[in-house]
Amino acid sequence: MEVTLENLTKKFGNVVGVENLSLDIRESEFVAFLGPSGCGKTTTLLMIAGIYKPTAGAIRFDDRVVNQVPPQDRNVGMVFQSYALYPHMTVFDNLAYPLKLKKVPKREQVERVQRTADAMGIGQLLDRRPGQLSGGQQQRVALGRALVKEPDILLFDEPLSNLDARLRLSTRGEIKQLQKRLGITAIYVTHDQVEAMTMADRIAVINLGHLQAYDTPEDLYDRPKTLFIAGFVGNPPMNFLNVEVRREEGAFKARNHAFALTIPPERGEKAASQSGEVVLGIRPEDISVAPEGELEGEVAVVEPLGRDDLIDVRVGESVLFVLADPHLRIRAGDKVRLHVDTGRVQFFDQKTEQSLLWS
Amino acid sequence: MAGTATTSPTARVFVLSDLVRAVRAGLIAVVALAAGAFLFESVLRPLIASATVDETVTQTLAGLLLLLMPFVGYIASSSTLRPIARTDILRAVLTALIAAGVVHVAVVAAQAAFEVGPFAERASLEMALVEGEGGIIVESMIPGGAAEQAGMQLGDVITGIRRDSVDLAGLLTRVGQSQPDDPLRLRLLRDGEEMQITVRVALATESNVDALLQGVVIALIVAVVALFWPGAWTPFALLILFLVPMVVGYIWLIIATFSYRTQGLLPLDGSGNIGGLTLENWRFLTTNNIAGYQFDIVRITLNSLLIAVAMTVTVLLVSSMAGYALSRMNFPGRRTFLSFTLILHGFPAVTLIIPIFFVLINLANLPGIGQVVGFNTPGGIALVMVAFELPLGVWLMKGFFDNIPWDIERSALIDGASRWRTFRQILLPQIRPGILALGIFAFISGWNAYIIPATYSIGRGTSNLPVFLNSLLGETSPVDWNQVAAVGLFQLAPIVVFFVFAQEYLLNIYAGGTKGTT
Repeated sequence: MEVTLENLTKKFGNVVGVENLSLDIRESEFVAFLGPSGCGKTTTLLMIAGIYKPTAGAIRFDDRVVNQVPPQDRNVGMVFQSYALYPHMTVFDNLAYPLKLKKVPKREQVERVQRTADAMGIGQLLDRRPGQLSGGQQQRVALGRALVKEPDILLFDEPLSNLDARLRLSTRGEIKQLQKRLGITAIYVTHDQVEAMTMADRIAVINLGHLQAYDTPEDLYDRPKTLFIAGFVGNPPMNFLNVEVRREEGAFKARNHAFALTIPPERGEKAASQSGEVVLGIRPEDISVAPEGELEGEVAVVEPLGRDDLIDVRVGESVLFVLADPHLRIRAGDKVRLHVDTGRVQFFDQKTEQSLLWS
Repeated sequence: MAGTATTSPTARVFVLSDLVRAVRAGLIAVVALAAGAFLFESVLRPLIASATVDETVTQTLAGLLLLLMPFVGYIASSSTLRPIARTDILRAVLTALIAAGVVHVAVVAAQAAFEVGPFAERASLEMALVEGEGGIIVESMIPGGAAEQAGMQLGDVITGIRRDSVDLAGLLTRVGQSQPDDPLRLRLLRDGEEMQITVRVALATESNVDALLQGVVIALIVAVVALFWPGAWTPFALLILFLVPMVVGYIWLIIATFSYRTQGLLPLDGSGNIGGLTLENWRFLTTNNIAGYQFDIVRITLNSLLIAVAMTVTVLLVSSMAGYALSRMNFPGRRTFLSFTLILHGFPAVTLIIPIFFVLINLANLPGIGQVVGFNTPGGIALVMVAFELPLGVWLMKGFFDNIPWDIERSALIDGASRWRTFRQILLPQIRPGILALGIFAFISGWNAYIIPATYSIGRGTSNLPVFLNSLLGETSPVDWNQVAAVGLFQLAPIVVFFVFAQEYLLNIYAGGTKGTT
């Protein structure tokens, strides 16, 4: 099923939950809503589910406007962060409840519940109550309950945030696989960008009730359209420096009082079209510690991450996050030289915060 | 010495250092309690007495501490020996007995020194008396004592004090309550001739040898018991100790309903002997007339039941739905409504009695409804009771609904349930403990309702059990308390049954199924 949101707005009194949100979700697509807490992503999801009525705008399932359709008639399945299992019912009754409400014959109910439970790996737990299950098992029951009625749309509201890290990793893969196999349109709300990046076909970045970007994970990461996206996507976050880009003797140079970088022409040209200071963005993994590097700085903090060391290097007045090889044994206070992969730098307008490269 | 004992526990039967440790612990405990008693008696009591007239609390506490003092001493001394008792029983028991003896001697010596306990000065007539045929016989007298000085003779039979006849216990009580030098005019028979002799009460220090010997035996028993007392039993022992007064009350209630009269827990017949069980007090179940008072117990019970059931059903129905709406929906006036119900809850019902009377009178004038909920109908009483119970119910239910995560409700809606169905099938089962609790509250307050039924029912047709019970406490005729006890027990029975069954549900508290925040 295709889902289209048109200028969707939700206000709670004077508080704006979501404003003028427009996006379309294609048949069988896996879309993630990514944003910080309280940004309106769950509100949007609950509007799609029918729990909240939009203040303005429209929600379409295929061509049908469903604004006034009550949740029970929308045929969506939803997995909640809290799982929201019915504590007074057994696992079987939890799974069978949507079928019972759809008036599916008893025998078929048993069959479908058993099939779903087996697929979820909880077939042997059917007579337990939710309180007797572990977090991972509860999560599977919740997922099974959303799937058992064969919904047109699957909604996920941060379903993995209550699982431990290892379980989260494996469940992530399973959900993704399941969605591809069943071909159900899925919307996944999360504040964890790794989840969004790894699972989604497209990511809608939402901040303060506004859609910031709606793109594939690759585009969001490599071709961020705004300063917010560039800073929000990626961990550790992108470094930002104020520079002036000018053409000097046939090459493009980005300068401030502490350093000068030579920028490849295809990026430099667009950056130089803007007069005055622009914001240069560079990801920590695109800076390396090298003896012949263009920048010089002093290491302020070293944070070992295991595979890499995250080091904060003070260059002039700004601090750069750099991922360095732990074998270099860099210590706080060391003087290091940094090499910047200038083929991957981003440029943004200081005022509009729009990308100068990808607009 | 102690070092050798621990390496080979069976090597010695007695180790002096154990005894020293035990006695020291016992004496410290004794001194601590004595100091506490001193604090209450001699420091706090004058302080409080200077502020208020009644300073009996401190006196009671001091007495209690003094009473406990020797026992705490024996227990403390035995406690130090408990580790030894695990390996070497003989040595522990022997040491404990000796230690208890030493502590006891110390306690007795202290009591003798301060003239308390068995050595206290007491008011006395200084003669030995026994209960005999026709009165109290003088068995012996202390030479030169109060009785001899007054002219009493051996073999005198005391029959009374002034004009009131008296038995031995009564006489001793009377003496105990007297101040020194108070005159007691005894009526007595000497050689069949009646005469009166005035004896002046004296102060005597009679050290009670029997009591001292019993004290030693008790000390030894306590010491051994404390040595082997399983620590896990202590909470149960304390619980039983505190429970006894309550249980005794109920036992009395039950015994009283089957007797003509009681002394303590013993049923007595007309001539004061044990016995005299009767079903007379329960005759109110089968008759409609007690001592000229007309009533219909079936009607009365049904009225009570009607009020209780009507209250339970209405309160549960209205509270659960109102609680849901107030918890989940946002509508104008919600907060105002909540605060007003809270105010109503704190409002004393009695102050509204007259306005409600007018409301009920007017309701009674309505055709149809008036016969059901008007003045002087059980329905009307139930209506008023419901109104007073609802604020509590609504708030209680709202609180329970507040605790159910929104997600569960949303989940049910998305699963395809209507809002009403979600309320019934998903939300109500989760607040079952709350519904049961509120139901029990409502039932009990309806069943035991007194003020409102007593005010808004006239005549016997509409009164309920508590009103009936009150009518037995007539102001013009003597009250038959055993009759009152029987009706009270009859009223109590359903509630006890109710509780026994409901308790199981009340303990059945749901867990799990939701994690994290909503």
